[in-house]
Amino acid sequence: MNRLDYIVLFATILAIPLYGLWRTYNHPNLREYLKGDKTIRWGTIGLSVLATQAGPITFLSMPGQAYESGIGFIQNYFGQPLALIVVCAVFVPIYQRLKVYTAYEYLGQRFDKKTRLLGGFLFLIQRGIAGGITIYAPAIILSALLGWDLNLTIWLAGGFVIAYTVVGGTKIVSLTQRYQILVILIGMALAFGIAVHRLPADLSFGDALQIAGRMGKLQAVDFSIDPSKRYTFWSGILGGFFLSLSYFGADQSQVQRYLAGGSLRASRIGLLFNALVKVPMQFVILLLGAMVFLFYQFEKPPIFFNQPTYQRALQTGYGPKLNQLQTQFDEVFVRKRELLQSAGPQSPAAELQQLDSRARGIREETRKVLEQAGANPKSKDSDYVFITFVLQHLPHGVVGLLVAVIFCATMSATSAVLNALGSTTAVDFYRVFRPGASDHHYVVATRWLTLGWGIVTIAVASFCSLVENLIEAGNILASVFYGSILGLFLVAFFLRQVRGSAVFFAAVLAQTLVLALFFTTNIGYLWYNFIGCAAVLLFAWILQSTLFRPNEPSAAASH
Amino acid sequence: MTTHDHPPFFSTWRKAYWFAMVLFAIEVALLYAFTLRFS
Repeated sequence: MNRLDYIVLFATILAIPLYGLWRTYNHPNLREYLKGDKTIRWGTIGLSVLATQAGPITFLSMPGQAYESGIGFIQNYFGQPLALIVVCAVFVPIYQRLKVYTAYEYLGQRFDKKTRLLGGFLFLIQRGIAGGITIYAPAIILSALLGWDLNLTIWLAGGFVIAYTVVGGTKIVSLTQRYQILVILIGMALAFGIAVHRLPADLSFGDALQIAGRMGKLQAVDFSIDPSKRYTFWSGILGGFFLSLSYFGADQSQVQRYLAGGSLRASRIGLLFNALVKVPMQFVILLLGAMVFLFYQFEKPPIFFNQPTYQRALQTGYGPKLNQLQTQFDEVFVRKRELLQSAGPQSPAAELQQLDSRARGIREETRKVLEQAGANPKSKDSDYVFITFVLQHLPHGVVGLLVAVIFCATMSATSAVLNALGSTTAVDFYRVFRPGASDHHYVVATRWLTLGWGIVTIAVASFCSLVENLIEAGNILASVFYGSILGLFLVAFFLRQVRGSAVFFAAVLAQTLVLALFFTTNIGYLWYNFIGCAAVLLFAWILQSTLFRPNEPSAAASH
Repeated sequence: MTTHDHPPFFSTWRKAYWFAMVLFAIEVALLYAFTLRFS
């Protein structure tokens, strides 16, 4: 990165929050601080929801995912449009009608105080840790490749977010996210255009797609029912539906986005906008990864994209072994390139795939040698693919913009999380145990609590180096807690005979079951969403029909 | 119930949900056509 890149980077990441502060600075009451005002319309809500979900991992990992395994990952998003329609039809009208600040406040109205506290507590644990990972994951990658100090990078990504989120609350989060996601989309579109432009001049875009297809990178939809296949239409629809329903229906970081402004119509249109744009957006990001893959068929890629880790291992006694693997990798690359240059899109698919498989095998062997050498990378090498392409092959200025894209994604996702953590702690805990104070008192308390959560997430980010695989860790963490939280809400909506005590103990039992399964079995983590949710529904129904049957007083009825 | 939840609005939103589902189905169909064309 040169001076131009740094100017573009800092101008972009500073200008948006400063503009947000200028536009939103006032003395809000609690409603304005937690939900914004009527000026927040569906466009802002739609972009804000999109920005909250599209964290830095999306833009660092997705292209690398396509580079390694093709664009089949798109199917994981197939359940989302359906889940968003259910959220629009069932969740949003109830939240808006009851004018709740948080999703867990609804649990208090439907059941009782302890169930509300349990829902809020599960959310706070999960999101508090996940927020730290959101900051740490891009920081470790950028600091490794750019040579920046890790803690400085964490504070750069996290510190500024804390400041403007504490000051502006929901309104500034929604406003800044609108511009941050625009920067992100412009940056990714630019990267896509340049990646296609950097392919050999005699290769048309159609030819490029033909070659990528022949190398097995463009299978977007697979209707196979083979359970050993990782990404299929069916797993995407079923698994993605439950995960998305939990995320959009019961995670305050998203609920707070679409309740902003307080209009049912705006919330619904904003969510339906997401139902329509999410799959095409992810497709373009994955296709960008396929184009980067193609680019590296003509331009020699590093054998291991996390070069600082690789260079450290070269200095150890494993240097000769790594050099031997590098020679093999170079030979495969030359043969592959010669084949593509001679036959172009008519290259035999079987031979291309065989050579590509050999190259991947050598990379995997290299990774194992790096582990033996004690150079322990903290995330998958595919996470370094896209940012390496950006840093080494994009023109100056655009490099700065793409690094700003990573920071914008970190800031937008983190601001939503901090806003939700502060709001939930203030509304579902602080206000419950200290009722009757003035509106101003609660705004000040929410600001302090948001600041406190900001410090917690930075602290978590600082200790994340203890975790082996960060991105997996984030997904596992969400899956372990989301099922039980979603179960609480589904019982509230659909099992109307169930009361507070039954659902509370059902959720405690279900969460204990999921944790026990997590620590004692090897079940794929996405299943925890379904198991936790189903267990709450089943236990709640059983408990209400047996132990809690006799005349338990009803909580304030909200239906 | 808010004014938005009265029957005419239910009908409008139901149409909107169907419209969103049809568009999603078209997206999947286009992705499948893309898969067949380039795999």
